Amino acid sequence: MLIYALNRVLTLVPTLLAASFLVFMFIHLIPGDPASILLGDTATPEEVAQLSRELGLDEPLWTQYVLWLGNVLQGDLGTSVFFREPVLSVIADGAETSILLATMTMFWIVLFGVPIGIVSAMRHGSWVDQATSGGAMLFASVPTFWLGLYLILIFSVGLGWFPSSGFPSIADEGGASNLRYLVLPSLTLAAPNAALIIRLIRASMLDVSREDHVRTARAKGLHPVRVAIKHIFRNALIAVSAAFGFTFAALVSEAVVTETVFSLPGIGRLVVQSILRRDYPVIQGVILVIVVFYTAINLLVDLAYASLDPRVSLK
Amino acid sequence: MNVPLSIAPVFRGRALATIGMCWLVVVGIAAIGAPLLAPFDPLEFDPLVRLSDPGWPHLFGTDHFGRDSLSRAIYGARMAIVIGSGSVLIALVAGGLVGMLSAYFVRLGHLLMRIVDVLMAFPALLLALVLMTLLERSVLNTVIVIGIVYATTTARIVFGMTLKLKRDVFVDAAICSGAGHASVLFRHILPNLVSPMLVQASFIFAFAQLQAAALDFLGLGLPPEVPSWGNMLSEERIYVTRAPWLLIFPGALIILSVFSMNLVGDALRDNIDPRFKDDIAGV
Repeated sequence: MLIYALNRVLTLVPTLLAASFLVFMFIHLIPGDPASILLGDTATPEEVAQLSRELGLDEPLWTQYVLWLGNVLQGDLGTSVFFREPVLSVIADGAETSILLATMTMFWIVLFGVPIGIVSAMRHGSWVDQATSGGAMLFASVPTFWLGLYLILIFSVGLGWFPSSGFPSIADEGGASNLRYLVLPSLTLAAPNAALIIRLIRASMLDVSREDHVRTARAKGLHPVRVAIKHIFRNALIAVSAAFGFTFAALVSEAVVTETVFSLPGIGRLVVQSILRRDYPVIQGVILVIVVFYTAINLLVDLAYASLDPRVSLK
Repeated sequence: MNVPLSIAPVFRGRALATIGMCWLVVVGIAAIGAPLLAPFDPLEFDPLVRLSDPGWPHLFGTDHFGRDSLSRAIYGARMAIVIGSGSVLIALVAGGLVGMLSAYFVRLGHLLMRIVDVLMAFPALLLALVLMTLLERSVLNTVIVIGIVYATTTARIVFGMTLKLKRDVFVDAAICSGAGHASVLFRHILPNLVSPMLVQASFIFAFAQLQAAALDFLGLGLPPEVPSWGNMLSEERIYVTRAPWLLIFPGALIILSVFSMNLVGDALRDNIDPRFKDDIAGV
């Protein structure tokens, strides 16, 4: 297991280095002088000349990358053109919203996905199963922004139950009641993902239910619900928990659209607004942070998976 | 070994998938016959009938420029087909080649699959956003970007399937009878991959619609003047309280088309070589 873990971490290093090189190249692929791109339109020629020296723009590309990576590892992702603040602190401002939104979304996915998936597998082939499987596929086919707009129309404009946009920070203004701002966005984001989880739980439970130990459990007369939960679902959970991890990792970037619909001050909306504002240092910084986060979560999921299922690390 | 997909058994006993297929045919007809079917010019402004209710002569109502919604929706079918087939083509050709070559030539595979790993370190929508930042907004660029995003997953799937096939006896037999690399790859292995790749294609087609709509919504997809369902939603969303039909029709068209394609993909998947069933995730 330890060897497997070390091996997985070591293979990630070149992948992350290559990914960071792509992120670094991003600024160079935009037409124009990188220093003027990074400083924006209002910079004076002196400022541009100074940044060129700091970035080593007259050095070979390779040296520039090493310089850049050195800064990144020390937490210096550059300065936002729009906010005139370090990129890292701009990203940190969006982190609270993004993490709370992702957590709340996972809560809905588990709350709705798990029971519906189990029932769908237990009633395999019945009309209940066909309705839930079909319904799940339908939900996976809905554009998230469309769903979000109609949730706003019904629950904010129509019924007035939840606020339609924004999210006042809990850390700054206190009060867990601010979470009500995240109810509609998290439901929007949860819908397609819960649909995928339902179908996955159903499929993995059906796989497990064909195994011998399940037949034994049934043969000795255990209650069908007990067989479904303790003997089938718990074994299917190995594959399903990995999917939960991957889903969580993907949520931060999937939230781009949802955060835009609900005007949430999260990292996803930051990406879109920075693209529209041509705030390239922020775009570069956010991509790097998301890629590292995404890779780290995927690694943790892999390791958790291997420790739950010893067959994986022995392969 | 190689079971060719015939239509009848795929749809037997699957009412929903059959209806889905019929809907896709309707979308196809709308796309081909758009100039004949559309009652108005989809780009023509008519300030006198801005935001008019659905009725005669504007069956789906008009948008804030007074353009006929039904005509835009019919031309939107064209964009749906172009985006879907374009992304499928790029994803399958690029991803399929990389996957097959990587599985067959082990050394080359080490390099190519590492590159795929690097690209997959970027979450799908983020990768699409970054690439669209570097490129101009156009139909071709949107297709290329979505195609590249799905080429990575396709490469991984095809890689796995080719590895399984490579161990089969028929490959040894082909090599023993003197077949060259190209012949083994494209005449012996590829035909076995056609059915699973067709399934993969239907899921890519479906997801590409959602990705393209999301890009349109964020203002980073097709140019705003192009009549696509995503652009219709994106442009008219501020009128949602005043003219809700402007969002219901294009939204319903996207949902119906994606749902239909997923149903068809699901039906096709149940009819392919069982060894490959778990390789293709879909919905």
